[in-house]
Amino acid sequence: MQHRLTVAIVDDDDGVRASLSSLIRSLGYEARSYGSAPAFLADVERGDPDCMIADIQMPEMTGDELQAALLSAGRRFPMIFMTAFPTAPVRERVMAAGACAFLDKPAEPDTIAHHLASALGHGRA
Amino acid sequence: MTSTMRRTAFRMAAALLALFIFLFDTLSPLEGAVAVLYVLVVLLAAGTGRRIDIIVAATASLVLTIVAYMGTHSLHAGAPILRALVSVAATAIATALALKNQAATATLAAQARLLNLSHDMIFVRDPLGRITFWNRAAEDIYGWSSAEVMGRVADALLETRYPIRRDAIDGILQDTGRWDGTLEHRTKAGNWITVESRWALQRDGHGEVVGVFETNTDVTERKAAHTALVRSERRYRHMFNASRVGVVQEDWTATRAEIAALGIQGGAAMSAYLAGHPEFVARLRRLTRIVDVNPAFLAMMGAETRADFHRSVDNVLVEADPTFGPALAAFARGDGFHEGETEIVTVDGRRVPVIFTITFPTAADGDGNVLVFVVDVTDRRRAQDALLQAQAELAHAARVATLGELTASIAHEVNQPLMAVVTSGEAALRWLRRPEPDLTEVDSALGRVVSEGRRASEIVKRIRAFLTKTPAPPTPLDVATLIEEAAQLVQRELVRAQVEFHVEIPPGLPPVIGDRVQLQQVVVNLMVNAGQAMAEHDGRRLLTIAAEHRPEAGIEIALSDTGPGISAANLERLFDPFFTTKPDGMGMGLAICRTTAQAHGGTLTVESVPGGGATFRLTLPVLQHGESA
Repeated sequence: MQHRLTVAIVDDDDGVRASLSSLIRSLGYEARSYGSAPAFLADVERGDPDCMIADIQMPEMTGDELQAALLSAGRRFPMIFMTAFPTAPVRERVMAAGACAFLDKPAEPDTIAHHLASALGHGRA
Repeated sequence: MTSTMRRTAFRMAAALLALFIFLFDTLSPLEGAVAVLYVLVVLLAAGTGRRIDIIVAATASLVLTIVAYMGTHSLHAGAPILRALVSVAATAIATALALKNQAATATLAAQARLLNLSHDMIFVRDPLGRITFWNRAAEDIYGWSSAEVMGRVADALLETRYPIRRDAIDGILQDTGRWDGTLEHRTKAGNWITVESRWALQRDGHGEVVGVFETNTDVTERKAAHTALVRSERRYRHMFNASRVGVVQEDWTATRAEIAALGIQGGAAMSAYLAGHPEFVARLRRLTRIVDVNPAFLAMMGAETRADFHRSVDNVLVEADPTFGPALAAFARGDGFHEGETEIVTVDGRRVPVIFTITFPTAADGDGNVLVFVVDVTDRRRAQDALLQAQAELAHAARVATLGELTASIAHEVNQPLMAVVTSGEAALRWLRRPEPDLTEVDSALGRVVSEGRRASEIVKRIRAFLTKTPAPPTPLDVATLIEEAAQLVQRELVRAQVEFHVEIPPGLPPVIGDRVQLQQVVVNLMVNAGQAMAEHDGRRLLTIAAEHRPEAGIEIALSDTGPGISAANLERLFDPFFTTKPDGMGMGLAICRTTAQAHGGTLTVESVPGGGATFRLTLPVLQHGESA
């Protein structure tokens, strides 16, 4: 097996982060977990992941702010966003900026798997 | 010169003259009838105006005549005695005339004194209009003394203003001998006064006109008072006609007779009787007559003229008007006025909300002039409704906003662990279904499922604790006040649904214990339900609220309506959450009411005979129940 695809998880909730990490690894990807958006931005050594799953409502910096920061820095990779309290304006803004998906929490694991597959497949193509 | 001094002067003059005549008669060699001059003595003495002075002078003159004759002549007949007799006779005649004149003068003086006593101004004019008599009142009121006006022409002096031409007055005077009318005179001080004048022509024995006797009564103040009265009446009429406030003049005479015929003493007893006898109130509505209405009220009623107008209060008030009974009670009590808020029916059947004030005249003025001032509050009501609507919407919006925030918070708090549970469960399944199950991963994933599930349940507990905030400390509440406040909140809705409203609360009930706002909401809810139940109902719409103290259960408040009642099937489920018979109802009202009653340590029950209305019974404890409130 060559280089395993890497998925970054950005969520301030420990339980969500740990369970997502377990799910992603069970799907055969490598998982990197970050407790906040600044922590993710600070991790420059390991380079960009192949995909990112980020929460929207986080202290310090929200998911959509993180998206804007990455795009303005020219960092482009598939991004999937999740939120426990979806609102239409945020959904529209995030999708318009090129996100692969905007999921409501709690999200179906199958749905997450499906979006990861299509995002990573797309990324490879 | 005073009259006493004048009298003394006349007496002295008479005495001196008598002495002089006597000396001349005795000492003079003249053989003439010197004693005839005693006539002058008597006339001088008459100048005092006293009868006694005339008699004294006459007696003295006679004595002196005789003494002089005796002293100078012997007692034999001849020319001297004849002269003496002529002198005596002359003196006697003069005395008689003087006495007669004195009597006439005294009568005249008495008459003049009488005229002077009069409060009317009296004067006499000769045929040329010159004043010949002027009484005391004329002196006082016109300001000129009698001496000042004698001989002056009255019309010139008083600048008389006549109501008709002067020659016309003279014509009447000549024909009938009298005239009366109203004149204006100017006083010495320059003020104009109004007098009621009566003239009488005076004629002498031959029928010749000798003067005009004029009596004037000062009516300036009376006239001013009358003018003020006329002005006031005109002002009142103007107010009546031009006011934008509707004014209704009513006759309550028959109304008072009917109330008096009841023979009920005491205001409370009367109020209770009126509340319990709607048929009596309805009859008095027909007996209370409308006498007059002003244009503003006509416009309010949509009537063209007063002729279009119905003639009793019954035709004006809406059927379910709740205010006439209390107005009758106020009238019976003897209140000066009564205020209220009701609806009237226009000639084309529209209902107009109004506020009104009834003014009851004092007993002396009678009951025929009861004035009712009516103001159309449609616009104000509309504005008020809009305001209430806005407030309700605002309250709703605030509630929604709070709920929204709460929902967001709940969603965030609860969905995070749920997400973790589901994701971990799915991950565990995947680790387990691998060709080589990774039991370490399964173990940690299932461990997260358990811990995240616990976390979710902790969050739910925390939210529940937040929602059931510490309740307001229970306070003692007066039942009558509680119901009165609730009734105020729904009064308009009841009037609109044409529901009569009747409260029977005995005085002296012990207070109930609880949260004022919550209990008020229960009573309001039950009242609104009753009104809605009767809104489509034909026949009498009466909501009765009664309260009584039951020692075993506390206070029982019973709300009875005369609506269609509740079917047995519905009755069982009435208090279930989400059960409703209303098309747009939520079905939470009665469920919340019962919960609130129970939270206060009380109960809420219902009984109903289909077709015979429904009665809701709310019992509330009167003693503190610790945690139960």
